[in-house]
Amino acid sequence: MILSQHKISLVFLLVAIGLIALPHCAHLPAVIMGFFYVLLSWRFIGIWKPAYLPKQILVFVLMLTGIGLLATQYQGVVGREAGTKLFIVALGLKLLELKSARDIYLIIYLAFIVAATQFLFQQGPIMAGYTLFVSSVLLATLIALNSQQATLKKALKTASTLLLQALPMTVILFVFFPRFEAPKWKLFEDKEQVKSGLTDSMEPGSISELGMSAELVFRVKFIGPLPPPEQRYWRGPVFTFTDGKTWTASHDLRFGRYLDDPTFNGDGYQYTLLMEPQQKPWVFALDLPSEFPVPLRLSPYYQLITTENPGKRAEYKLTSNPEYNTGFLTKTEFKDSTQLPGPPSDKINQLVTQLQAGDDHPEHFIQQLLNHFRTEHFSYTLTPPLMEDRPIERFLFETHYGFCSHYAAAFVYLMRVAHIPARVVTGYQGGELNKVGGFLEVRQADAHAWAEVWLDQRGWVRVDPTAAIAPERVEQPINVEQALPNGAISYLPANEAVQNKVNLVQQSEQLWKSVDYTWQRWIINYDNQHQAKFLSNFGMANLKGMMNGLSVGIIIVALLMGAWVLRQPPDKVSPVLRSYQRFCKKLRKYHLLKASNEGVKEFGERVMITLPAQTDTVEQITRLFIKLHYGKDATAEDLKRFKRLVGEFKG
Amino acid sequence: MMPTLSPTPNNNPMYNETTPLLNAANEVILGKSHKIKLALCCLLARGHLLIEDVPGVGKTTLSHTLAKLLGLQYQRIQFTSDILPSDILGASIFDPKNLSFTFHPGPLFNQLVLADEINRATPKAQSALLEAMEEHTITLEGKTYALPEPFFVIATQNPSHQIGTFPLPESQLDRFLMRIELGYPHHEAERLLLKGQSRHSLIANLPVQLPPELLLQMQTQVAQVFVSEPVLDYCQAILDFTRTSPDYPYGLSPRAGLALLNAAKAWAFLEQRDTVIPEDIKAVLAAVAGHRLRAGNHDSFAIVAPILAQVAIP
Repeated sequence: MILSQHKISLVFLLVAIGLIALPHCAHLPAVIMGFFYVLLSWRFIGIWKPAYLPKQILVFVLMLTGIGLLATQYQGVVGREAGTKLFIVALGLKLLELKSARDIYLIIYLAFIVAATQFLFQQGPIMAGYTLFVSSVLLATLIALNSQQATLKKALKTASTLLLQALPMTVILFVFFPRFEAPKWKLFEDKEQVKSGLTDSMEPGSISELGMSAELVFRVKFIGPLPPPEQRYWRGPVFTFTDGKTWTASHDLRFGRYLDDPTFNGDGYQYTLLMEPQQKPWVFALDLPSEFPVPLRLSPYYQLITTENPGKRAEYKLTSNPEYNTGFLTKTEFKDSTQLPGPPSDKINQLVTQLQAGDDHPEHFIQQLLNHFRTEHFSYTLTPPLMEDRPIERFLFETHYGFCSHYAAAFVYLMRVAHIPARVVTGYQGGELNKVGGFLEVRQADAHAWAEVWLDQRGWVRVDPTAAIAPERVEQPINVEQALPNGAISYLPANEAVQNKVNLVQQSEQLWKSVDYTWQRWIINYDNQHQAKFLSNFGMANLKGMMNGLSVGIIIVALLMGAWVLRQPPDKVSPVLRSYQRFCKKLRKYHLLKASNEGVKEFGERVMITLPAQTDTVEQITRLFIKLHYGKDATAEDLKRFKRLVGEFKG
Repeated sequence: MMPTLSPTPNNNPMYNETTPLLNAANEVILGKSHKIKLALCCLLARGHLLIEDVPGVGKTTLSHTLAKLLGLQYQRIQFTSDILPSDILGASIFDPKNLSFTFHPGPLFNQLVLADEINRATPKAQSALLEAMEEHTITLEGKTYALPEPFFVIATQNPSHQIGTFPLPESQLDRFLMRIELGYPHHEAERLLLKGQSRHSLIANLPVQLPPELLLQMQTQVAQVFVSEPVLDYCQAILDFTRTSPDYPYGLSPRAGLALLNAAKAWAFLEQRDTVIPEDIKAVLAAVAGHRLRAGNHDSFAIVAPILAQVAIP
């Protein structure tokens, strides 16, 4: 079927609109999207059967239906869902009322708005690329509608050229346009972006299956060398109080001011931490943070807490030092970290006495207990049996199955029974190294719990009982993809040589994650604070400076673009003309100049008079030029021959 | 002799059919080969020709020769100040035998019509002819009569400053594809003419060189001659030039542009090419554009000289 230019443009427009609305299917009610696509298909059929298009009354009824749908699918009057739905329904209805050129423009502008609303839901690089692509199709439709001759292929080319030309201006606007902090009463809530992570309590006995989520928690890029895997402990909430089953933070936080200052040995690790949106204000620093920027503060449990909204992606420059000494123990700390839910049972006392074996040194007891875990057939599993009643005892003497929380809880409990101050630390352990971007990715599946004991002269010391049972849990990154389906846990190989052999799929996956990291870090994360910080490097500290920078930037880009556009020849010279110009150039030494109003045939005849010896060549060149430039069925061979003849022509 | 670019070797046999015709015509009308070629070009482009010159330079001879060589039905209409449309078109006359009106076709119902001294007739008679030229049909008393094909009008016109003329208005001049002036012959040509035998006997003995069926075929082929984008650019540049240049009171119309292209196609065909090149446009420009640009002036070449000099060839 041969379609007229107009129809092809319409088909293109409708397809582009269909593609633009597509990603909204993921988060808007199906009824609304269904209604929209019904209207779109109706319009699509209407291209060929205009009689099927609804009349005015029906359009009115459809409009009422749309309003009804908006009302019933109520998600609030203000907010991104409500707004986006309104635009989508309006776009669908407007499609049925396509009479004049003005309608088409309105539709295209509406479609651009709908395309922009995508970014209220998703800001990833894929969505950005997709939206850009669909927008270029829309732009091409706009071009095709305004230009009589342009084919859609040409229009697409023009559209991409336009987008490319707009790029420098986009960059200038992105960097310099003043950004304002989103108001506290946010226009839309990004609830779904915030996922549950670590909680502020721990109850190992009540969990029979530990979920393995591949969801990203944070990414770390080290300046300098990476810490070895056994030092990659990312500190989160610390639990000191237990009722025998549940572990929670201490209620007494007033001791912070009496806390000894930790001392650090060595240089420590400098790194950038990019936190994904969280519910809790916890920032997971490498054990133990020594330097941290302003919005963060250190809790008495050496955990970093942000004072800003944790629901926003945030980046911090931190320094941590694994060699530390926290100094003396405060009274509150001692009280908290030796608290027991009641007198321990005989069995436990017996075990402690047996393990102590008359040696009172805490180090000795710790070693004995870890050995006990190692030798007494304890195993690491993600699907432990339920232990509602006396979980620690049952775990120690009956089941012997558990994951990190079980071991940490049991270890701390036994320490306390032996009068050694101890507490449970939760957080993340390990992380997968992205070789392309050189950063660590830490996911929910890397969540971990370990223990800390206070030793004289050394302060709080980390002991990870899990490492005693399952050292691979600590030394190797968890292979989330493999672990997810069957609940069993598997690890990525720790050996660098083996890791280098990972297949192409994994490599490209890492490459993609690296792209995503860069995107999040540099594009999405560029908010008002980062902008202010970045621009202050160039002396643009305040709004006025930014506006000046913006104006200067725009003027410079506009001048450069203008110069570039003007520098280009008005139209491209075809290879045929270029060769012919070479021919004319060769004739200049005989004072044979082709006048601008002179035809090639006339010129050729003139040349033949001056250069009778060259008559044949000149005739052939002229004839071929006429065929190539003015003829209709010139072949590539003709061009080749023409070029060769011109090249051989000596004049 | 000036070297010329020989025609591209081409297997179209039609190209060679025009040569004997032109040669034969050149033997009758001496020293006017370019004008004869233009006249044939006009015929091939399905246009009508206006010859404007003083009496006695061979206007009638040219048209008569063409008619003879092409084997066309030929009729000459002498326009006078009292000629009526029915004298040209024909009239319905009562037939007493059948008791009905029968249509008697006028002299226009011929393949080649020479409208001699068209500017001597009144505008009423002129317009009757010009309408027929445009439509190739005649409508009388509600009935439409088709004119024969090919249909070609050669109108001659005395310079308008002569006494007793009604100069054709611009709109009607536009109907003629070309206007040519024959001009006085060269010295040598005139001497030959004076020495030679009577033109009348020469014309009477002329054999048909190009039968009408072949002419129709050629006309079809001429319409198919390829016009490339650069040539269209050149054509449009010429149109734009006439519309913006202070040399001309008004520019060329779109119809003039079409006429220019059609004539150039026919010229390219006569040059034995299947594509138009800018030289073809230059060759016919004076004949096609001269009368459209400045009706009163007769030196078409002088009229189009600024165009040829200033419009660059793409």
